[in-house]
This record gives sequence, structure tokens and C-alpha cells, in this order.
Amino acid sequence: MSALPESVLEEIRELPAKYPQPRSAVMPALDLAQEEVGYLTPEAMSEVAAALDLDPGYVEGVATFYTLFHLQPIGRHRFYVCTNLSCSLRGSSAIVEHVKGAIGVREAGDVSKDGLFSYEEVECLGACEYAPMMRLDHEYHYDLTAQTITALVAERRAPLSAAAKASRSRARVPSPPRGEGQGEGRGPKKRAPRTKNIG
Amino acid sequence: MAELRGSFGEARHHLLTRWFGTEDLHRLEVYESKGGYTALRKALLAMKPADLVNEVKTSGLRGRGGAGFATGVKWSFINRDAPGPKYVVVNADESEPGTSKDRYIMENSPHMLLEGIMIAAYAVGANQAWVYIRGEYDGPHRMLVEAIAEARAKGYLGPKPMGVNYPLDIQLYRGHGAYICGEETALLESLEGKRAQPRSRPPFPAVKGAWARPTLLNNVETLSTVPWIINNGGAAYVKYGTEKSAGTRLMSVSGNVRKPGVYEVELGQTFRHVIMELAGGPPDGRKVKVFWPGGSSAPVLPESMLDTHTDMEALAAARSMGGSGGVIVMDDSHCVVKAAARLLRFYAHESCGKCTPCRVGGDWAVRTFDRILANEGSQVELGILERVADGLQNGRCLCGLGDSAGWVIDSTFRHFREEYEDHALRHTCNVGAVAAHA
Repeated sequence: MSALPESVLEEIRELPAKYPQPRSAVMPALDLAQEEVGYLTPEAMSEVAAALDLDPGYVEGVATFYTLFHLQPIGRHRFYVCTNLSCSLRGSSAIVEHVKGAIGVREAGDVSKDGLFSYEEVECLGACEYAPMMRLDHEYHYDLTAQTITALVAERRAPLSAAAKASRSRARVPSPPRGEGQGEGRGPKKRAPRTKNIG
Repeated sequence: MAELRGSFGEARHHLLTRWFGTEDLHRLEVYESKGGYTALRKALLAMKPADLVNEVKTSGLRGRGGAGFATGVKWSFINRDAPGPKYVVVNADESEPGTSKDRYIMENSPHMLLEGIMIAAYAVGANQAWVYIRGEYDGPHRMLVEAIAEARAKGYLGPKPMGVNYPLDIQLYRGHGAYICGEETALLESLEGKRAQPRSRPPFPAVKGAWARPTLLNNVETLSTVPWIINNGGAAYVKYGTEKSAGTRLMSVSGNVRKPGVYEVELGQTFRHVIMELAGGPPDGRKVKVFWPGGSSAPVLPESMLDTHTDMEALAAARSMGGSGGVIVMDDSHCVVKAAARLLRFYAHESCGKCTPCRVGGDWAVRTFDRILANEGSQVELGILERVADGLQNGRCLCGLGDSAGWVIDSTFRHFREEYEDHALRHTCNVGAVAAHA
């Protein structure tokens, strides 16, 4: 049973031709794998390595270097709250507490019980004139307040709670959080620009 | 897009931002209706590559990424006649704490950047450019994807831009969250699909850069300034700024000010003008305590040095630097030691691990700050911080990350020794907290 479907592996095998040297494809390929699985499992990384004809240890070495590659399960919606100086001078620590409370987790990296949310404290995101700010999935949110956080969480819970009510009678099978395009900047709906961009 | 905070509209010193605020400026046709792409046309149809390099040399433009190296000189390092491919690589990995000006450019006027890239490529004999953009910049990335598509559709990118037989293309490459990629050789490693660890130099990128080919590396703002220079001439550019720091630059002012924003400033203006006038000064009842004049890596300056000028020479004389143009302002309700501790945590986290002083020194400093802030400090901890700060500096590492970490300690010690002694020796803090997360 392979971690990545053949269609994704096929897409990965086409990547190296887009660069002057094939190795540059490793990060875009890991993006595709992360988008598919939700995070980078050892199996997924091995399959990326095989598809690119690279050593698995090499691919893992790249994946572990960069913070946007996730090696553990993450929530379907990810809060990346800036806690660097410009934001902390404008109250990011209170924002972090609101996020933790709103999604019900204790520490950075934790996933909420329903698998819907996780949060990380991140370094400067380059939008300091709107501090305190954060990135939620693939969008920046500015001038954060407790109310903004509460509303953003509620919006994302709403469709789920409706669906959950409908299926409550069925057996509850814990499913791994299925990411919506953890590959950076490329949710499933945004796949066209990526192909255009690299191609 | 969010409300613009910073410079836009016509003003004498708005060379980059004069069209910002125009509706749909990010569309090619709007950019062109304002006068965009006239510099590219002039460059391709009426100028030789060597003229372009000379024009940029004449302008005195210096790199806006951090190091402030003379742009025209950098361009001249590329041997245009060397056989084989050459590349322009654009550093859009803006990650220096307190810096948001490249984002401001890419969101407002992506075609201004593309135009600058195309002119640079033609000048140095490259047909292919790569924009390395930080992975978190989803919005700017989308803007560039669309702008590149428009430029291709219009033929400005393609086999014969403006009818000239000089193929040009621009590709995007996304970073994945690593501050070190702002360092040019680490960026190149990353672009090649590796862990982003700086290379030793020589060879310099101009000789052996991306994929071992001659490569021109420039920052987003630097290249975005080029169209103005080509249109108006290098001699017009030197009328702005000071003798050695010509022109204007974008300064992102953040922290404890009433109007944080990205302001275009003529070099040589004072920080008092930037912080107190443009950014509105600190909130009511507060005073500026300290500011970082060029990103978190630039040594701090206390309030008493607000009259320091923004040009690179004045900043060097003040034992700091212009850096990335990110001005972080902290008022008197915050503690310098906690702020320094927060920044050291950043540098320790972002060390790539290649050079021992930076890999070990950053963590050492963090642990020492932790002890001091837990009221477990003594003269011993102060001594450790000073030794670590020294060990991180002075070319002991391949890149400047370690130096930057050392400068944070060094400069806060220099100007705020008493606050350190309050914490370490007297176990008190006479001001509020930066954050529980410091």
C-alpha cells in the first residue's frame, strides 16, 4: 500500500524537467506529498525520493530543515501566529492565548481533538504594519483581536458541526486530519496557478 | 487587499510608491497606463547592456536587502560574454524581523518588480530569472503568478520582448520557512533543492551561483528601483539622498507607533522624522525608548539618538546599520532585556547549524537569558552573555546570522547596561513585559 497515489507520483516525476538541475524538484515534490497526505510521513518521503531518484535520507534531510514541512499530523486549519518582536510589542501573546482557548489546545504544535485545528508560533511573517497578525492556512489576517479569532474559529466549525450532527448515529472512525493543501500556497483549488507558475 | 499603510501617491520623493494606491495597479494595462514598461522599452530598444550597467553605477543605487553593496558594481561582476546560461535570482525571501517592504512592493506593483528584473537580465546577459519568494507570502505569490502570466501574454516575457530578439523568462520558486534563505548563498542552496546552509566564498555567485552558473542576486526593492533609474537617468537619482547613500528607500516602521507603515524615505532624513512624524510617534503618554533602525539585526539605538540620519554612513558612525530598512520602535513600557531575549530565541531557532559559534552560541545565549529572566542571574550570567556576543561576531561564521545575534546582545548592553544589571544582579524589572513569550 503506497502512501502516494500514482497520479501524484506521476506529477512528481515530471517536476525535475522544469529546473536546470533535477534536484531543485525536491521541495515542490514534498509540497505535493504534503498536500496529499496532510503531513510528511516516512513512507511519503521515501516515495518522493524514489520518484526523484534521490536517497531517502537526503529527502528527509531537506524536509526536516524547513519549518513549513510538517513531520507530524496537523489540523485541517492551521494558525501560524507571529510572536516576533513587532507583533509581541502589540499584544501577540494575548492573541496566542485566545487561539489556544478557542481551539482547545495547550501547546504549539497540538492538534484539536476533532482534528480541525492546530497552531504554531512563528517568526516574523513580514506584515509588521498590521501587527498583531497571523497566517491562517493560506491567508494573512491583520489587526487581530480576541473577537477576530473567535469569529474565524466559529466560521470554520460551523459547516463541520452541521455535518457532524447529520452523521452522529454512524460509527465514529477517527480519521487522520486530511490537509487542505499543506503544500504551501496551493490548496486543491489553487493547483492551476502552481502548474502554470513552475511550467 | 488590506488598507494601505505607508507611502503612496505623488510626492517629490516617491520614486517607488508614486503610483501606489492607483486602483488595479497590479494589472499590466493599468501599470502601463501610468508609464510602466517604458524603461524596459528604452533598455531593449535604445540602450546597450553596458549602458544599463553604467547608468545603475551612476545612480549610486545600493542593495536594499541588507548589505548595501553598490548595485551597478555587482552587475558589472557578471561576465556578459561568458558562454552558457547565466541567471538573475531575486531575493524575495523577506524574513528579517520588522521588515515588510518587499511584500508592500509585490502586492502593490508586481509589474514594477518584473520590469526591473527584465532590465537586469538584459544588462547582465541572462535570459532566465528566478524569484525566490518566501513560502508564507501566499498573497504576493499569487500577484506575481498573475503578473508573469500577463507579461507572457503581452510578449514582454517570451522569445522577442518588445520585438527584440532577446528571450526572457521569469520563474518563481517558493521557500519553505527558513530565515537563513535571505542570505544569498543559502538561498542558492535552497533553490538547488538542498538544506539552506551558506556556502563559503569565493567563488562568489557572480562567478559560480545558481546551478554553478554566473548569477546576479538582487533584492526585490533594489530591482524595483531600476525602472525609475533607467527612465530618469542615474544622474537624476543621485539628486536624492546623500552623497554616498543615494536615493530613497522603503522603511517599514512597526512596533509602538501610532501609524505603523511602509514609508518611502529620502536617505539622509532623520529617524526622528521617520518615527515621530511619518509613523506618528509612540502612543499617548509613552516615550520612545529604543529602536532598531534596520531590522532586528541592526544594532539598537536609544531615544537619545533619534536624530541619527538614515543614510548608511550616519548609521555606521552610530555603530549600527541601515540593514533591511525595518524600523522597530519600542516604547518605555517595555523591557529591553526581554526584547533581546526574544530576538536571541529567533536567531538560535534560525541558525542553520553549519558553523559552531552560531549553532552553539545562540542556544547558550537563550539559556543564559532564561536564567536571568527567572531571577537566577548574577555577574556570571552577564559575563557569559558578553563572551557569547563576542564569540558570535567578527567573521567567525560563514554568514552574518551569528553576527546579528551578537549585535543584539552587544548593542543592548552598550545602551541599556542598567536594565541588564537590574535583572541579573538585583532581580528586578522596572518596566512592563514584552510578552510572556519573550
